[in-house]
Amino acid sequence: MINKSSFFGKALLMLAFLTPFTQSCTNLDEEVYGQLTDANFPTTEEQFISALGATYTSLYGWANHNSIFSLQEISSDEMMIPHRGADWFDGGQWLRVHRHEYTPTEESINNGWNFLFGGVNNCNRVIDLFDQLVADGKVDAAQAAAFIGEVKVLRALFYYWLLDAYGNVPIVSSFSTAEANPPTKSRAEVYAFIESELNANVPNLERKKDGSTYARMNYYAGKALQAKLYLNAEVYTGTAQWDAAIAACNEVINSGLYSIESDYFTNFNTNNSGSNENVFVIPYDEQNATGFNLAQMTLHYSSQATFQLQAQPWNGYCTLQEFYESYDDADKRKGVYGNQSVRGNFLAGPQFAADGTRLIDAGAEANDPDGQPLTFTPEINEHFPNALRQAGARVGKFEIAKGATPDLANDFPILRYSDVLLMKAEALFRKNAGDAEALALVNQVRARAGVPDYASLTNDNLLAERGREFFYEGWRRQDLIRFGAYGDTWDFKPASGPTKRIFPIPAQQVNANPRLVQNPGY
Amino acid sequence: MKLKVNYFAKWLLLVLASGLSVAAFAQRTISGTITDGATKEPLIGANILVVGTSTGTITDFDGKYELKLPDGATQLEVSYTGYSSTTVAIGASNVIDVSLSAGQLLDEVVVVGYGTQKQREVTGSVTSVKAEDFNGGNINDPLQLVQGKVAGLSISKVGGDPNGGSSIRLRGLATLGANAEPLIIIDGLIGASLESVDPNDIASVDVLKDGSAAAIYGSRGSSGVILITTKKGAKGNSSVEYNAYVSSESIAKSVDVASAEEFKRLRPGSDRGSSTDWLDLVTRDAISHAHNIALSGGFAGTAYRASLNIRNIEGVGLNDGFRSINGRLNLTQKALNDRLTLGVNLSATNRKATYAFREAFRYAATYNPTAPAFFPENSTNPLAAKYGGYYQEENFDYFNPLAISEQSINKGDIKELVMGARADYQLFDGFTASMSYSVQRESESFGSFYDKDAYFRGFNTDGSASINTNDRLNELFEVTGNYTVGFGNNNVFTLLGGYSWQNNDSYSTNGSNADFISNDLSFYGIGAGQNLDRGRAALGNGRDAYRVIAFFGRVNLNFNDTYFLMASARREGSTRFGEGNKWGIFPAVSAGVTLSNLFDIAGVNNLKLRVGYGETGAIPPSSLLGQRTYVERGSFFYNGSFVPAYGPDRNPNPDLKWETKGELNVGLDFALADSRLTGSFEYYNRRTRDFIYPVAVPVPPNQAATTWANLEDVELNNSGIELGIGYLFGDKNGISWEPRVLFSTYKTILDTVATDGTSKFPFFQSGGRVFSDFTSPGAPGLNNLPTMVVQGGQEIGQMWGYTFDRVGDDGSFVYKDLNGDGVIDSDDQSVIGNGLPDFSLGINNSFTFGNLDFNFFLRGEFGHDLINSFRTFYEPLGSRSIENLVVTEYFNENLTATPAFNSYYVEKASFIALDNATLGYTVNLPAGGSFKKLRLYVSGQNLFFITDYSGVDPSVRYADPGGSDNGGFATREFNPDPLYPGHDRRNNYFRTRSIILGVNLGF
Repeated sequence: MINKSSFFGKALLMLAFLTPFTQSCTNLDEEVYGQLTDANFPTTEEQFISALGATYTSLYGWANHNSIFSLQEISSDEMMIPHRGADWFDGGQWLRVHRHEYTPTEESINNGWNFLFGGVNNCNRVIDLFDQLVADGKVDAAQAAAFIGEVKVLRALFYYWLLDAYGNVPIVSSFSTAEANPPTKSRAEVYAFIESELNANVPNLERKKDGSTYARMNYYAGKALQAKLYLNAEVYTGTAQWDAAIAACNEVINSGLYSIESDYFTNFNTNNSGSNENVFVIPYDEQNATGFNLAQMTLHYSSQATFQLQAQPWNGYCTLQEFYESYDDADKRKGVYGNQSVRGNFLAGPQFAADGTRLIDAGAEANDPDGQPLTFTPEINEHFPNALRQAGARVGKFEIAKGATPDLANDFPILRYSDVLLMKAEALFRKNAGDAEALALVNQVRARAGVPDYASLTNDNLLAERGREFFYEGWRRQDLIRFGAYGDTWDFKPASGPTKRIFPIPAQQVNANPRLVQNPGY
Repeated sequence: MKLKVNYFAKWLLLVLASGLSVAAFAQRTISGTITDGATKEPLIGANILVVGTSTGTITDFDGKYELKLPDGATQLEVSYTGYSSTTVAIGASNVIDVSLSAGQLLDEVVVVGYGTQKQREVTGSVTSVKAEDFNGGNINDPLQLVQGKVAGLSISKVGGDPNGGSSIRLRGLATLGANAEPLIIIDGLIGASLESVDPNDIASVDVLKDGSAAAIYGSRGSSGVILITTKKGAKGNSSVEYNAYVSSESIAKSVDVASAEEFKRLRPGSDRGSSTDWLDLVTRDAISHAHNIALSGGFAGTAYRASLNIRNIEGVGLNDGFRSINGRLNLTQKALNDRLTLGVNLSATNRKATYAFREAFRYAATYNPTAPAFFPENSTNPLAAKYGGYYQEENFDYFNPLAISEQSINKGDIKELVMGARADYQLFDGFTASMSYSVQRESESFGSFYDKDAYFRGFNTDGSASINTNDRLNELFEVTGNYTVGFGNNNVFTLLGGYSWQNNDSYSTNGSNADFISNDLSFYGIGAGQNLDRGRAALGNGRDAYRVIAFFGRVNLNFNDTYFLMASARREGSTRFGEGNKWGIFPAVSAGVTLSNLFDIAGVNNLKLRVGYGETGAIPPSSLLGQRTYVERGSFFYNGSFVPAYGPDRNPNPDLKWETKGELNVGLDFALADSRLTGSFEYYNRRTRDFIYPVAVPVPPNQAATTWANLEDVELNNSGIELGIGYLFGDKNGISWEPRVLFSTYKTILDTVATDGTSKFPFFQSGGRVFSDFTSPGAPGLNNLPTMVVQGGQEIGQMWGYTFDRVGDDGSFVYKDLNGDGVIDSDDQSVIGNGLPDFSLGINNSFTFGNLDFNFFLRGEFGHDLINSFRTFYEPLGSRSIENLVVTEYFNENLTATPAFNSYYVEKASFIALDNATLGYTVNLPAGGSFKKLRLYVSGQNLFFITDYSGVDPSVRYADPGGSDNGGFATREFNPDPLYPGHDRRNNYFRTRSIILGVNLGF
């Protein structure tokens, strides 16, 4: 029995070591299955390009609802989201943004910050990565330098938007060596940083305009961005830079690579990548580059039948009546009331299904004068709480493809050639209100829209023309500020003070980083 | 309905007929007195049972009994709470007196993890519930067996979804992360699946409530540990048991909405000309049945138990429910002069479920009651053809509920397999070495399909399908050594040491596709969807594996059955912790003293004081949080075509470690009045720190706004009291009544949230208050409107908003000006409710009247509030005119404002519910006959709720899944957030009530 006992004791001990594991019995290394980590990525040229790509794909959140684009639009006089009965109150955020009563806790203000600094971070991370790859001798130094320069210009675009929206923000130019709590820098310092980055890196960018530079920062995209920076320099720093703006615009114009399309809407078609006005675009795509949810944001629930959409729209965004009426009926950009077959910046009037039947909004309010047949009336009865479901002309500017998913495939023009022309015109006009070239440039754009020439330029008619031309392209707030009109009253908005010209620093960021300083007035 | 009555009537007839026909066999009568062996005092209410039969009685106030013996009776079993039971032979004499010795209750075996203890030796807070005390009724979920039976264990199931789970909380909330539910251990397998065991096969459920008891399970024990032990065979006669029930279930409460007539009056512009009872269209009376057969026995060192369970369960939704079959075999074999015990256990489950669409209930409440279910047959409305004839209006968040039920399917096929082997070898007297290895394999496949002409989740996709499979492996290898030795005078020393290695490996795939040429392709033909050709189909998969490795030890000392001491430690590591923090130590110590052995206190049979402290942990919810991982971030337009772009998906945190909970527990067990009054009292105080949470970090420099980290500035302090008390009444007429009351209360305080607004909670903060948009009611219109607040130094579960004063003359909400400054602004918002209860009560009552047994169980939660979402959205007349109105006592026709959240929608939700009432009759059977036991019962489940809450179900909502709208899924549908209890969201199954007829048969 004693023998047996020790035999079984040994057997147990042996079994204990024949345990079902292959590693040692205290191994706690994590296994990675089907995932890329710092240990295995990036190691090949194909992977370097994928890593680089994350900088540009950071742009895809641009046109989403409830982030920087919504802020730029709803705070301007071209767009609003009325409180439609029980819908779209959302804590009053869109009412406050439209009335310039925004606070540091608005969700869109935090989302915008995270979107823009997310882009900055991705650029910094990739710059660090390529610096390291060069140091390790894994990539060609010259090729890497070209990539790094391009990413720095893209980073400058993200900083430019930060400068424009938030003004005083931290400047972080490295991912791996950044401070844990980077401090706020003044708007002038941020401006200087962007200016020096563009001066240092734009000259080295590709000067080609073809598939290899499409939706990428080439030399002319860099110059157009410089033009934007200088055109608004007085707002950012107090010192105007009209000559520098003109010089940057001239680089684009004189290249001869870009031209005004004969049809304005060529720029906004589902397949608009061939437009000669595209200086820099976000190459949205139904599968590869998703995030352009315009149809969801603006169309009525029932409009689904007009475009045979794969998802139901939200019945939100619409334009202000004043803004709609700032277009002549002859203006080709406006569209035709009640006729969807003619493209226009707006979808207004009676609405029809794809097969031509009149759309019915069974949920129409009893006090809707048009009743149940769906009619987008430019008039908006009230801001809140009971805007009619059908109130407001909707955004028809971008083609909505039949059977579209919520992610439209139209490329979004960030920097467009007609903007370069009007920027140059404006800079000339600022220097000399009677400048003939300025007037000619503006009239070139007006002629394309089928409206008569201006006899002369004024502050007001130039601002109005910019508004009509760049509706829903995300520039209206900036233009209003530059023209001194941002504090004006407009539909459902009282006059607002100068501190509203920059948004507050998001409360969540101030909480997380004690070295951030809240903007004045918030 | 008529058919069902007949069905039940037949059962009832069977009950009566069996009872009457068998009662005639009784013959000889015996009598006697049952006394306390020590004091010779008579024992009142002692049980006397004829062995092998169900014939028995209890003693009267003088300890006397009288019993008619059935044919062939040979032995009597005498038992009494607090005393050891005994078996005596029936001789020629007609008088049989028996004396009992105290200690039966205290000798009850309690499972404590890596072993068992006698109840009297336990020093931690452990509650053991045995099969005979389980809840009755149509129970499909093992933990519902003990709902309300364990003080401090809350099991909250909202609505009657047969496929819906419960929220389980032990002593409230111990974490803010994902591991708020207790660790489940079935027959030693850590992290076992509750679906692998049928309620019929469970012998006991033991709950390790405090830190000192749970610390032996280390890094996963913070939310408590529930040990489930399945029934085993025993040496002796072989037996066969058959248990079955049939139940009928119907809606007990739905949302109170306006009838078509009321609706027409209130919303004259929205009359669609019909009158439809949507709820009636999407529900049914559900008939379910379940069967369990178990064979068990033992001979010559072998013991076995084999069982098979079949369940065919219907839900009250049109076609939801499940069918399952589960088989289990527990086999042990002794060898080598009984020194070696080998055991094998196998369990297999196959469950096919059809899931309910809770949206059908939701829209049945809110859809226009004057709308028809279908368009007229000759309708020219293009929507008629588009949506398969179902009446639809194309509106946001607005779906014909009947169409949801009939045009959508969601099915699951779940297979569970558990295989385990165990060897215990007694190397020498007192020392046993054990080794066990078990594997649990879970395979799930789910598929859903929305018809070509479906509006709900269909839109214009022309049929959409999705599939998803999960395959999970849980393997556990453990080696333990246990040494027990007596020393001195009646002292026992027990030493346990062990090693545990566990591997969890899960693999999942998912795919979705749309645009099918036929509904008949369904999700089984998912590849046929034409969206695949267009690049719009999706395919994904993933694998996550992690290991937990531990060394542990425990010492138990028993001095003279009077002083008890326990100390344990578990050193445990997990692959999920960051590089720098792989291993942690989880210690515990506890002690007890049986005061009644030291002092002679009149009327006190037992009095024991226990004190313990233990530390436990919680591990991160997923792997690789310590590393930077790269995921596809859209595609990059490179040289004229798209190439995938990869960027990081999180901020890595190599310092991530376990959460730690320290808990002090003081307990008192008592038995008074001849052990008729028994109970225990517990006080605990626990503090959890280092929560694993997505912590706010600045952007820049961080890539993402949150990092999975240990939340350093927040602690959770939870203290509470639990009291369980029972009394046994009995009289000479074979009548007994045993009421048992459980009471528990706790407060969960969130400590040290920075009041300067710099808390690392990743949400909006204002004046030390943290608000999350997640708690907003949702669309339409009520996004960005937090309804709850987290504040340092205050309780979890606070609701936040304006205080409703009255309805203004213009039909608006008028709020109270709390600060009296004449302006209603955010400074007038305050705490307007709390989602967690003040205290919980369970009242069990067992009666026996001879052969009749009657049990009813009342359960109550008191002091919690609920946010009534249905009222918030659909009560004011300013809600969308297409929507039906919720009409309760709060409805006010003058309130024409658009919906808003405020205190008007926070309701007191205290309730007391009759969870279950069961009336059973045990038929007298002839001894020596082939049948040993026959009991028939009728049972009612959820017979009533007494509550002021106007919504569907006043149960506590322990966690919040978030809002959902327009056919979408809730943000955290499968991982609800425990930080925000109390939100009664719109997607809930309605409350049901069941009547059950059942039989227990033994032969």
